[in-house]
Amino acid sequence: MSTQLLIAALVAGSVYALIALGLNLVYGTMRLINVAHGEVVMIGAYVAYWGISLLSVGPLISAFAAMPVAMALGAAIYFGIFRRAMQSAEFMERIEGNSLLVFFGVSVILQNVASLLFTPNQRGYRYQDEIVHVIGATVPVNKLIVLAIAAAVCVAAVLFFRRSTLGLAIKALMQQREASALVGIPLTHIELASLCLGFATAALAGVLVSMTEEISPFMGFPLTVTAFVVVILGGLGNVLGSLIGGLILGVLETFGVALTGPSYRSIMIYAVFIAVLLLRPQGLLGAGRSRT
Amino acid sequence: MMARIGRAASAVTAVALLAIALPVVANSYVVGVCFTLLVWIALTESWIVISGMTGYISLGHVVFVGVGAYVAALTWLALPIWLILPLAGLTAAALAMLVGYPCLRVRGPYFVILTFGLSELVKYIVVNIESALTVSGRVLFGAPGVETLYLIALALAWVSVILALIVRESRFGAALRAIRENEEAAETIGVAIGKFKAAAFVLSSIVPGMVGALLIMRSTYFEPLEAFNPQTSVLIVTMAVIGGSDRPFGPMLGVVFLVLLQELLWTNLPQLYMIVVGALLVAVVIWLPGGIYGRIQRMATAAAR
Repeated sequence: MSTQLLIAALVAGSVYALIALGLNLVYGTMRLINVAHGEVVMIGAYVAYWGISLLSVGPLISAFAAMPVAMALGAAIYFGIFRRAMQSAEFMERIEGNSLLVFFGVSVILQNVASLLFTPNQRGYRYQDEIVHVIGATVPVNKLIVLAIAAAVCVAAVLFFRRSTLGLAIKALMQQREASALVGIPLTHIELASLCLGFATAALAGVLVSMTEEISPFMGFPLTVTAFVVVILGGLGNVLGSLIGGLILGVLETFGVALTGPSYRSIMIYAVFIAVLLLRPQGLLGAGRSRT
Repeated sequence: MMARIGRAASAVTAVALLAIALPVVANSYVVGVCFTLLVWIALTESWIVISGMTGYISLGHVVFVGVGAYVAALTWLALPIWLILPLAGLTAAALAMLVGYPCLRVRGPYFVILTFGLSELVKYIVVNIESALTVSGRVLFGAPGVETLYLIALALAWVSVILALIVRESRFGAALRAIRENEEAAETIGVAIGKFKAAAFVLSSIVPGMVGALLIMRSTYFEPLEAFNPQTSVLIVTMAVIGGSDRPFGPMLGVVFLVLLQELLWTNLPQLYMIVVGALLVAVVIWLPGGIYGRIQRMATAAAR
């Protein structure tokens, strides 16, 4: 196994894990299937792009603008769409399916607004792309930065869910909704916080993606699909599972592409996605939830 | 039950018979718009056979359209049109048969994203086949004019509506709706859920396959990214949901509404059209469950009291 491929796999895997983290958080706390998650990543990527090309601000600083933008979007969606709908029994009865359709609409809106504002063309910028040698492999610096940040945030997330009060409250809500309300956890606040955190991590992932790849208004959906693969691999509502799932997918994809060729990348991701859904919808790790 | 189908079916048939005369009285722009209208009616009505009836929402219906289009592109000029169309429908049905049974074991939102993933997978497989054959887009020479295609679209739309009517009012349809309301209960009282779901899936795939063949005869060009464009699936779902997907007449309202909107916006502002489509999808799911038709019915019931 070459170190070159291994590092590439780690970079891809840590970004996938980061994207999947937010998706899992939003599903775990509110049962919302956010198929617009990739569009939030896209928004983060555009904030970084405009930051560097208009204001000459590096992506690492733009990240602190991208995250609040995404959080505001999350809050707008929560207050504008879901808060009232979630009080209607008719909506809640089929919340997963309904929220999927709603977020699908949101994703179509965001894609086309971005395409209208920024043109549908692909864009990219150069950032820290000199090559360095790491344990026998040649890697551009930007990939190492991506890896470092994504991995650090993932580790921080695990600690957050184990140690902090908010993290524990979110976990409690995921596991026992009614019981957590009984012990005095403010559900509305926690739901809003999870949605905003989920969106913020997606935007951060978008900033990281834009550092190494070209971006476009329609870059989001494949990322949503990969995030779903990761979440389903790791188990819904299982945060540590997302990290492991992300790494598994990163390895599968990198080595798969190395063996077959880049034009098979999409086929492979969708094939893994379908295989996972068909064979093991409850996830490879940990027990899933009932899926009715 | 038969009387109910009979009345609705004869009304639909009467309208369809009248519509045959359209190319004689209208110019080709109007015929073109009506062609589009009929194509979308055929697609959404076929969609409700699986998704409206069973609640298994397919977000990948375009896969059948694309496969039908590909079959037509491959057999163009090698076979006559009256053979290409059924062949396209049968190929789509064969695909539905192949994937239906395993896919329909997956439930709820998982099925929705699965269907989307499946249509994307097939799209990229076709893209790779075409690039391996070093073909980039196929042009169809000598396709029939819009008047002929309009008549085929009319026939397909008629078949699709009648099929939806029959399925809805039959025992088969009752079983499908039982699956939608409570799959475990349906299974307990003896509905062969696996078979019924697969049968509905296959039934719903035939017309889209033929529509796919028809659509590339209209555009005279086959390109996999266009033929398998996921936007088609989005539009089918939105049209059906806006209209109300439980009854055959609901989706027609959605189709008419969105096709007219498309005529207004598509050429100048395609993105704005999709933004409106997305917003409508959100609004209907949140504020108008049951769609326009559901709302009209509710008001009619209230007025009758």
